[in-house]
Amino acid sequence: MANWQEMMPSTRAYLMNKVLYELHHKPDHLEAYNQDADAYLTRFDLPQDLATSIKSNDVAGMYLSGVNPYLLRAHCIGVKIPEDESLAALRSLLDHEDYNDG
Amino acid sequence: MAEITGIYTASHTPVMLNFPDRIPATLKDEIFGAYKAMGDDFMAGKPDALVVLSNDHLHNFFLDNFPAYCIGCAESYESPIEHWLHAKRRTFAGDQAFGSYLLQSALEADFDPSFSMEMVLDHGSLTPLELAGVDPDLPIVPVLINCVQPPMPTMRRSYNLGRFLGHAIAEYDAVDRVAILATGGISHDIATPRMGMVNEEFDETFLGHMESGDIDATIQYATDFVHTAGNGCEEIRMWMAAMGAAKGAAFERTYYKAVNDWYTGIGIGRFKVS
Ligand SMILES: [Fe+2]
Repeated sequence: MANWQEMMPSTRAYLMNKVLYELHHKPDHLEAYNQDADAYLTRFDLPQDLATSIKSNDVAGMYLSGVNPYLLRAHCIGVKIPEDESLAALRSLLDHEDYNDG
Repeated sequence: MAEITGIYTASHTPVMLNFPDRIPATLKDEIFGAYKAMGDDFMAGKPDALVVLSNDHLHNFFLDNFPAYCIGCAESYESPIEHWLHAKRRTFAGDQAFGSYLLQSALEADFDPSFSMEMVLDHGSLTPLELAGVDPDLPIVPVLINCVQPPMPTMRRSYNLGRFLGHAIAEYDAVDRVAILATGGISHDIATPRMGMVNEEFDETFLGHMESGDIDATIQYATDFVHTAGNGCEEIRMWMAAMGAAKGAAFERTYYKAVNDWYTGIGIGRFKVS
């Protein structure tokens, strides 16, 4: 596999990036999200499948959106998804035959 | 004319602060000891200022405006910016005049860094300084390289930026003694299916190239094989910059271990500049 899914972010990935960035950097955003995830996510012009992947802590689904991995990682820790659960979800996407050959 | 007292390279990861106990205590102590040894060596050089080569992990910078290179020109830097990082808050003193000098010199030398007069440093700068026990009052100048969001500057450009920094620092008059700490790498994947599968073979080969002193071979290897060693490995751009600043001085690794449960090839080294 390669280091990156997208060598230039798609608009879809950009939208995911924007949500995960603002959620963990803008004052009061995390609190608003924790109180009512649906209401919070409607602030963004996000496709429904991506909103669902965030709300349901679907780490594999979020990864596949093309979201920047650092924003995904910070989100997993920031909303306290158990570490072993995040790892297992990511690992489930691994094709062992090509993991190290780019 | 400033003397460069030491140039160090060291991995960083928030895991070592957030989930230190995912590895055996003896290994954790060994690694923390290696950082402390680097810090002792660093402080023995009695630097008056520190240039930190690191990267922002999408905290200060976002995709609305993402600099390839950024030089800090602030009077001080708070840290950490991550609300979830297990680290106590601290404020680093900045050397604003030094940062401004490096910025203007860079532009005159045909590099085009952005600059920032207000940044909150993340774990990339904080973690190695904290573990090394570097004097918290030592004024710093952060130089940040985009290693986290493609498209990114090349390995060779980062080496050349480091070469520029080495010369510009040496010509600076207002500080006598300057140390450089380059942080990041080596092999690691952040939030990918490969996370936790450190490419030890890459790291050994990379460190071997660094120690051989063959600069072109090192840059070529980094360029051609970084994709086998994880998105976090893109941070070896800081090692390229350190190699540039070292002006051909020999490199030696002082510590290396592939630590899968910290998701990172933990490498520490230094250039024998003094
Ligand atoms: Fe990093």
